[in-house]
Amino acid sequence: MPPFKDEHVLIIAPGSQVTLAQLGLPESFTPARWRFPSRMFPSEKKGEYEPYKIHERRQEVKSANGSTAAKEQEDVEMKDQPPQEGTANADAPKTESTDETKPEAAENAGEEGKEGGENGQTVQEIFYEEDIASEEGAIWPMQKGRIVDWECFFALLTHVYNTLSPPFHTPIMLVAEPVWSLRDREAITQFVFEKFKTPAFCLMDSAAAVCYGYGVQTATVIDVGKDKVDVTAVTDFQVNEHGRGVALEGCGGDYMTDRLLELLGSKGFSREMCEQLKRSNITELLPAGTPLPGAAATARQNGPPAGSNTQLGGVENGQPKNANGTAENEEDEGVLDVAAIVSGNTSEFLAAREKDKGTKKGADAAKPVRLPNSKKEKATFQHQEFVKLEPEKDAPSGPSRFMRQTRDIEVSVERFLSATPMQKKGERLSSGLLEDIATQIHHTILAVPDATKRSDLWDSLIIVGNGSKVKGFTQALISTITQKFVLSPSGTIFTSEIPSNFSTPLPTGGTNTPVPGFPGQMHHPGSQGVNPLLVAATHSGNPMPPGTPSIDPLSHHRSTGHSQTPTSVRTVKPPEYFPEWKEQTATQQPPQNQPGLNGPGGPASGGGHRGMEEAVFLGAQVASKVVFVIDQGISKGFMSRVEYNENGPSAIHEYVM
Amino acid sequence: MNPSVPPSAAEYGGDEVSAIVLDPGFSSTRAGFAGEDTPKSLIPTYYGKYSFEDQDKIIFGDDVFVTPRPGLSIGNPMGRDGIVEDWDMAEKLWEYSFTSRLTGAKPGNPLHNGLNDVPDGELPTEMEGLETDEKPLADSPLLMSECSWNPTKAREKTIEIAMEKWGAPAFYLARNGVLAAFAAGKASALVIDIGASNISITPVHDGMVLKRGVQHSPLGGDYISSQVRALFKSNTPQPITITPHYLISSKTAVDAGQPPQAKYKTFPPDRTPDASYRSLLEERTLSEFKECVVQVWPGPTKLSAPGPNGVPNEEMARSSPGRPFEFPDGYNQVFGVDRYRVVESLFDAKAAIPDPDSLFPAPTQAQTVSELVKAALNGVDVDLRPHLLANVVVTGASSLLYGFTDRLNQELMQLYPGPRVRISAPGNTSERRFSSWIGGSILASLGTFHQMWISKKEFDEHGPNIVEKRCK
Repeated sequence: MPPFKDEHVLIIAPGSQVTLAQLGLPESFTPARWRFPSRMFPSEKKGEYEPYKIHERRQEVKSANGSTAAKEQEDVEMKDQPPQEGTANADAPKTESTDETKPEAAENAGEEGKEGGENGQTVQEIFYEEDIASEEGAIWPMQKGRIVDWECFFALLTHVYNTLSPPFHTPIMLVAEPVWSLRDREAITQFVFEKFKTPAFCLMDSAAAVCYGYGVQTATVIDVGKDKVDVTAVTDFQVNEHGRGVALEGCGGDYMTDRLLELLGSKGFSREMCEQLKRSNITELLPAGTPLPGAAATARQNGPPAGSNTQLGGVENGQPKNANGTAENEEDEGVLDVAAIVSGNTSEFLAAREKDKGTKKGADAAKPVRLPNSKKEKATFQHQEFVKLEPEKDAPSGPSRFMRQTRDIEVSVERFLSATPMQKKGERLSSGLLEDIATQIHHTILAVPDATKRSDLWDSLIIVGNGSKVKGFTQALISTITQKFVLSPSGTIFTSEIPSNFSTPLPTGGTNTPVPGFPGQMHHPGSQGVNPLLVAATHSGNPMPPGTPSIDPLSHHRSTGHSQTPTSVRTVKPPEYFPEWKEQTATQQPPQNQPGLNGPGGPASGGGHRGMEEAVFLGAQVASKVVFVIDQGISKGFMSRVEYNENGPSAIHEYVM
Repeated sequence: MNPSVPPSAAEYGGDEVSAIVLDPGFSSTRAGFAGEDTPKSLIPTYYGKYSFEDQDKIIFGDDVFVTPRPGLSIGNPMGRDGIVEDWDMAEKLWEYSFTSRLTGAKPGNPLHNGLNDVPDGELPTEMEGLETDEKPLADSPLLMSECSWNPTKAREKTIEIAMEKWGAPAFYLARNGVLAAFAAGKASALVIDIGASNISITPVHDGMVLKRGVQHSPLGGDYISSQVRALFKSNTPQPITITPHYLISSKTAVDAGQPPQAKYKTFPPDRTPDASYRSLLEERTLSEFKECVVQVWPGPTKLSAPGPNGVPNEEMARSSPGRPFEFPDGYNQVFGVDRYRVVESLFDAKAAIPDPDSLFPAPTQAQTVSELVKAALNGVDVDLRPHLLANVVVTGASSLLYGFTDRLNQELMQLYPGPRVRISAPGNTSERRFSSWIGGSILASLGTFHQMWISKKEFDEHGPNIVEKRCK
């Protein structure tokens, strides 16, 4: 088989919400160039699916002007959008960056309409119009990582494949969700080989991919998704299936939204508002035990939450809060002139707008001190919603226009409580999002058979997934683990004898010095000031007791005694050699306030993610490079078509990475 | 190859299916495809039962350890002797063990999964005779393991479930002792299996169990846990209570031996999980204790006996450094000689820590490992004994206790000073824990094994009793 080239590798990472994809490996690995919403719409013909909602419209076509007709297949245009568009917008306010695709796409539809109507006859015709914003009737083939609708899932894969239209000699790397059963994987293998006729296929476990992305061989990967969490212990790049926390229910990002809704629902918050509040930069998880700001300073985060806060939380909502107080101004703020955006330079336009708004706000800013968010009792976030404008009379069939309404909503300390236990008790006695995840981590690591690796696993947590984007998630999780599970290097040290055979710890070189302020470096409160030698001594293996008989060493195994874990908990530092990813990690952009994932499937717009949440995609690229390009199948990293033809889909398990 | 040239249309036409190997135990149930080196699915045999909104619900799998449910109680379909007691639950639990990770819960209708779309211009293949109601194992042969003293009734019930409920096309029932010997690469061996509820000695000769030599006693991992509990009860300065993690919201570091300072969680009384749940979760802490602290006195003499140089063994043990252990509530202590005492009764019944409240009656000397081996060997032909002693296979998770194989070696050498005793215990933890599953995986993937399967047709012809004739 001829060698595979970088530019031919196709990577697809399906998720319950978004499917990431990319054709070709760039010189330096970038975040996924394509992001597709993981949904399809049933088409007219049964058993077929369309990527967008199709509306049927009957109307009389009169002349070229103002009529609308959209071709059925519109992805062509979407493809033409330059993939780097998003990065060009990097200087534009991030809150806006993905939204603009929508009006633009709507405009595209309009343009097509002109073309279609040029025949100029007055006939009653049926037009099919793609409604890019609509989610009505959408089928999401994956739920909580599980594939619930195979037909639709395969249609989605096909849509992704066709959109990227790779050449024939393209190896495919597919990132597998942990929850997929072995039979599921076989079905996918069969589909990929038989439908796409790929010469080589690799199905990679998402947890292993994250480890490749971080460049560590042993780690505990915590993938916080929309409504599920996967906790996986990876030792030496091998995924430990036993004790793995697969698709833990009720632990994902949705939990936080639901909790916010529970707290704020009585104050008129809708779920959509809570979702945006969660995504805003004022929502934060505070480390366990941190007092809440304001009057609730004495209340602990774990305490009874909603009750005491209701009075002090003067939440203004329901009415658009207007900075300058006049209705005119509001109109000016809210309506986004789609035409202006489309015709002009979008990023400039938006930047100017934003600046304009900023100065206005700055003028009446009466805040004397700038406190960090976690100290402020109240904070405001910008709520945005899209309202479809009624078509004007003179252009009844023009492209649908959207008006974006922005309003500031003030929220009290509820914004710190998104991970606390639900008031409305379900059928699980959950102790809050973080504690449930922490318990799962403890269970997963304890189930790792190689006890000597457990300490390493605690010291290398990797938290990924877009659910973990909420500010302070990592720190809060680590502090929860510390409170519940980390062992204290306490008085045991002085009561027990120190074994004489422990090795002296090596002096730490400059490279090993912990970076101050690195979020992972959370030590147990009790560990401060304890001689590390003593800690090492008490937690190292004990010497063999006297009188051990000599026995046949070959046929005989002696397990090494080990000690309890964890003595410390740390996160793994993301790799620094991928500038595109590093940049995203470094810049603390305010998370975008775009409504859900309504945006069209198209090139990623750069903004919005803070980077390593999608490390799984970076890892898939690293692994593709290794498996397809460098190794070329010598170490059986992928399944080739020849092998598939010989052994069938079940042979994929021998290659699963 | 030119990337723009379409590949040839050669396609896989076979339909090889790998068998499923199911190895049910008292504490965990292992399942996986034959030919693999570890079972891909490992679930606790314990299941949770609770009712929510007037609906009875049952949960399987590891999830039971992670999130408690209101009023959750824990059950186990297996009896302490390794024989199924609750067949309905056993069936559900076993089914979960292979559907959850291996075959998928509901196989999609093959007509609609996109793989069978008929291209235009081609005639669809005949699909008649296709069962619409697909059974969970419709396309995989199933190999199951059983203990050597499984009664005929239970064996017949097992094949009925496999054939009638799951629709397996072929079935075989193998003794777990034989499978463990296969996993060690031996056709003849003396298999010492230290499980959770049982220890068993199975002499295997040429792949057949020598029934008269089979011995078993209840001194397994759960018995050791009960000994640890007894130790905690009589602990000084104060008795230790185990509070599982789910009842703790946070702990504070305390000095060794000091009372714990933890913040506890409380559940409303109508939602508190059952005592059986607490005891299951306590068992998690105990198994951590067994892994980290408990150690088998290496011998050659008993812990209570005087040592070789006149110093009592207990004194020797006391002088070796203790091991610290911290409980979920933050209480911590160093365990010295006590960590030897909790397992000593596996070899010396008199050393058992008395506990009147324990589930387990005080052991008799005949139940100890060394006596069981003796009884097992007495039950087999004299000529076979040296061969068996030269092929002792140690398996079962509780045999991973620190120093267990050393002590066993010493005991056997004292019992049989003449013949050569050779213990084979895999170094790999998972090989030790899953050896009977691994043996099944090897067996079911052998080409020569194909003639051994009991096919659905044979079952339909001869009825469930065929298992007695074919699986010996």
